[in-house]
Amino acid sequence: MKEEIGAHSLWHVPVLGTVHADTVLTTWLAMVVTLLFLGWIGNSYRSPRATKRQTVFEGIINYVADLVHGTLGPRGEPFVPFFIALFIYLFVLNQFGLFPFKALGLPFGGSPTADLNTTVPYALMIFFMIQFVAVRRFGLRYYGHLAKPFVWLLPINTLEELARPATLAARLFFNIFVGELLFVIIASIINAKVSIGPVNLSIVVSILPFFIQFFNFFVGTIQAFLFTLLGIVYLSLAIAEEH
Amino acid sequence: MTSESLVVAATLIAFGLIVLGVAFGSAVGDGIVASKAVEAIARQPEARPNIFTFLFLGVGVLEAFPIISLGLAFYLLLVVVKVPDLLAHLK
Repeated sequence: MKEEIGAHSLWHVPVLGTVHADTVLTTWLAMVVTLLFLGWIGNSYRSPRATKRQTVFEGIINYVADLVHGTLGPRGEPFVPFFIALFIYLFVLNQFGLFPFKALGLPFGGSPTADLNTTVPYALMIFFMIQFVAVRRFGLRYYGHLAKPFVWLLPINTLEELARPATLAARLFFNIFVGELLFVIIASIINAKVSIGPVNLSIVVSILPFFIQFFNFFVGTIQAFLFTLLGIVYLSLAIAEEH
Repeated sequence: MTSESLVVAATLIAFGLIVLGVAFGSAVGDGIVASKAVEAIARQPEARPNIFTFLFLGVGVLEAFPIISLGLAFYLLLVVVKVPDLLAHLK
């Protein structure tokens, strides 16, 4: 038996080249799940009375909305739906690794965020959105902040600006990826059939995946929240500056 | 002593050093963040939700670096040097 990590089934698409088929399929599935979920919540607002699902999920939605308002001020109003959708979508993406679709032989499964090809575009999306919003608000004068407080800090400021999407992508990717890597490590320990005295290590260790799954759920939630929160913070840094 | 066993030994020592540093640093950092958060909540209990947000922000940002270096350590161990294959080869 051989455990593999980072192995993807491939599609050869004429224009795009080679893509990771399982990542793409799982992402599409996560999009459908998120859209259905948000539609399900939104549908409950048709009736004038507050329903149960509104009451339950308004807590989460209000939390993110308050965060955006608190950080960006009243100017943050147009970005509230974006960040709520981003949080719920990333949460769904991160928790996809919880279900053993791949072990059942289905073509999709595993967290798409355990693939660097998923997290880098999202980080770039945040990065370019911030540039777009800031340039539309301040014009090209916005890039003047790179030369503040001194002109010769320009390279350091530019590097800092460019390091943000890189760390954003790497943080999300490695957190989810190491969560899956832990299972491979446990599987290889079980496979090694080591016994220390009378204790068979394979049987002792086989309880661990249960706890690792809890840890992964926690980490996935925290990282989805953190990606959203850092997006909000970076946006506030870009549009709150005095010019 | 063959060169392969030397490579395996060096990689395992490097892996151990990386995990040591990562565990030490992240434990100290998490401890500082959590203790400061407890202090802040004790001083201002009404600011609890706000402090919790920043606690998770701090822990999340902090935890990323150990996990990134742990991932790179496993990359070194399993992909660059392929220690399990080398070990099987040495037997």
